[in-house]
Amino acid sequence: MAEQQVRERTEPAAAPAGWEPRIIAFLCYWCSYTGADNAGTSRLKYPANVDIIRLMCSGRIDPELIMTAFARGADGVMVCGCHIGDCHYLTGNHKTMARMPLVRQVLADLGIERERFVHEWVSAAEGEKFARLVRQVTEQVRSVGPLNWPQRMRERGVGHGMDLKSWGE
Amino acid sequence: MAGSGGNGSGPGRAGASDVRIGVFLCHCGGNISDVVDVKRVAETIGKLPGVALSMTHMFVCSDPGQALIEQKVKELGLDRVVVAACSPTLHQLTFRRTLDRAGLNQFLFEHVNVREQVSWVVEDKEQATRKAIRLISAAVSRVRHQVPLEKRRIPIHPAALVIGGGVAGLVAARDLAERGMKVMLIERRPFLGGRMAQLHTVFPTGERARDLMSQLVSEVVRHPRITVLTNAHVAGSEGFVGDFRTRIRIEPRGVDDKLRLSGNAIAACPEETVNEFDFGLSRRKAIYMAYPGCYPPLPAIDWHSCTKCGKCVAAVGGKGINLEEQPQEVQFHCGVIILATGYDPYEPLYGEFGYGIFPRVITLQQLNRLLDREGPTGGRLVASGPPPRRIAFIHCVGARQVEGVHQPQADGRIRDYCARTCCTASLHAALEIKKQHPETQITTFYQDIRTYGRGHEEYYERASEQGVLFIRYKPTRPPKVEPDPYEHSPLIVTGDDLLTGGLSIESPADLVVLATGVAHHDISELVGVYCCAVGTDSFLLEVHPKLRPVEMSTSGVFLAGCCQGPMDINEACAAASAAASKAALHIAQAQIEMDPFIARVDDTRCSGCETCLGVCPYEAIAKDEARGVAKVNEALCTGCGTCAAACPSNAIQQLGFSDVQVLSELEALLEPASA
Repeated sequence: MAEQQVRERTEPAAAPAGWEPRIIAFLCYWCSYTGADNAGTSRLKYPANVDIIRLMCSGRIDPELIMTAFARGADGVMVCGCHIGDCHYLTGNHKTMARMPLVRQVLADLGIERERFVHEWVSAAEGEKFARLVRQVTEQVRSVGPLNWPQRMRERGVGHGMDLKSWGE
Repeated sequence: MAGSGGNGSGPGRAGASDVRIGVFLCHCGGNISDVVDVKRVAETIGKLPGVALSMTHMFVCSDPGQALIEQKVKELGLDRVVVAACSPTLHQLTFRRTLDRAGLNQFLFEHVNVREQVSWVVEDKEQATRKAIRLISAAVSRVRHQVPLEKRRIPIHPAALVIGGGVAGLVAARDLAERGMKVMLIERRPFLGGRMAQLHTVFPTGERARDLMSQLVSEVVRHPRITVLTNAHVAGSEGFVGDFRTRIRIEPRGVDDKLRLSGNAIAACPEETVNEFDFGLSRRKAIYMAYPGCYPPLPAIDWHSCTKCGKCVAAVGGKGINLEEQPQEVQFHCGVIILATGYDPYEPLYGEFGYGIFPRVITLQQLNRLLDREGPTGGRLVASGPPPRRIAFIHCVGARQVEGVHQPQADGRIRDYCARTCCTASLHAALEIKKQHPETQITTFYQDIRTYGRGHEEYYERASEQGVLFIRYKPTRPPKVEPDPYEHSPLIVTGDDLLTGGLSIESPADLVVLATGVAHHDISELVGVYCCAVGTDSFLLEVHPKLRPVEMSTSGVFLAGCCQGPMDINEACAAASAAASKAALHIAQAQIEMDPFIARVDDTRCSGCETCLGVCPYEAIAKDEARGVAKVNEALCTGCGTCAAACPSNAIQQLGFSDVQVLSELEALLEPASA
């Protein structure tokens, strides 16, 4: 069912003039964040649409963070961590690996285009891969247009319901 | 400099409004300010609620820059600081210390990366400026929720355990002891010396390996602060950095130092088995000495082949041999652990380049034993008959393997990494042969010659000068070893030579040497005991190959030598000395400081579901059965936050990365201050 809807929604992609995709990237500190730094020290250029949130380990990436990003206005989300076997915390990324397919499934069930969510491993040395990934993700999110989650959820009869205050301090 | 005070109305942001945040934006001498309009950024940020100061500086990390932060914190009573500059990996610690000096808790700080992740990667100045504003707004939003944290301080027990009695372990033990530390060195085998003792001479000096080894061994065993245990391995360990309690199991040697005339005991033994020291080229008795001059200078009994017939006991008059000796267990309390468990030479599969089928196909390690004057043949390349006239070396056996071309090993993987030592070692051996028998024709089948170390390239040059033939084969088309159809020599090696445009070369050979590389030594038990990180190549993985090259992610555990990957002896010794220095540094501090970003359980929210227990990679969470809630062992917690992500009740928060912190950062990124 998601496939069908995805196609329906992809066609119009009525992006307002001057619209730029807003993409949030959750990166682990040890590999992927350092990989992003590596892209910088190598002076590779990539679009400014991706904003990085640094966490110590990709295992910290609670699926709720990803859903909240969409609910709060992100058009796309990237999740990057160390390659399997390279985790600074031994097996933190194994948990990421287990969680992300679920996230993908929930997003599909909500009718969110698959282009909007990307999970990739990026090592500290893979600056080039990171830059390429940012370019690719920006383009594929641009191709599906703005997400407008609140509006879309209203159409589907789902409240976005994720309020910062409910997380407590 | 643009300074602007402000308590303007932001876009309805959550968080404490009574904070006084200071934001310092760095030009980085133009690295940032050439692309980002820093003045506009500072003005925009200055309007955010809670921002008491927003200013720019040419180099915030410089002494004047840091002094400025200190001054402004005191002068304006700032209680939070945001620095937007280079990557936090470079200067986060610098600014935390600045806050310390300013009398502010160093964790009331947020570092924004506007160089590596903004000015160096975004071409468009407008977009770069907007991105900088978003990122700094997010940091301002996040820093509101920072709370003072204290670094964890753990006392260190001033003793070290070194696991592995090869060259790396010996060097590490010696270095640590010389710094005044109590050291326990344990070796699983009955004799010290490791792989180095099996070599003939070492490159690039050509010295005899066992001369160097015995010098090192005598330094270690005579040292008053070092205890050496052979036949000993780790049976289990409890505790953590500063306070490891390791259980060491000592297998029975069967022999003690009351033994005299050990030669008689060995001669009397009727049981023979393959001698692993000579890689199967010779046989030894069930009671044996590994090599002349080995330490301990006492034979050991190999319980697999000993039948307890008692003939050795009778031969020495009953003194010094105990066939009924039992294993013992001791506990050792130490603050740091050095892993120096070494490697295993790659053992070719049956039939790989004819290995196991043709007796004239040997490994480089076997060649080293044959070259050894004290080896199985007294230094001759063949046990009997004339010395081989034509020798072929095949490089990269068990190294740089290609998926689909090479058969996977028992672990299902191929050995796709370069084993690093075998190029120089093969050329070293080839020159050694040339020295003894200058008329020998040597042909080398190689992929690339990687004689990378100081003084190693000379081996390649000398070998070329002395007529060693180099035939370069393609990784996907390795050479073949077959019986010589013309029967001029026992074997013939056929390979395509890339240097002559793929010409097929047939090289008759009396002896084929497989330059087998360095493969990992199976230490899965230790990996489990110390929660070690293992790379995809099955070697142990350091925290960072450049910044923390000899440390494991488990605090207090260090790496020395080939357990980390293929190294030559120089590199293994350098790594061992580095590991000893790092370990000594830990101990010298008497207590160790650790980041405070650990997990904390809110008892009122925890339902005791135990989800977190299963996801923790370090087994740092246990259930407090009496109270029915999860409890974090703060010394074991490394602060990955996986449990915080898994907790279904949001009862676990990671200090410094709490939900509210990450979410307020996220919220601000998506609703930035208008530029």
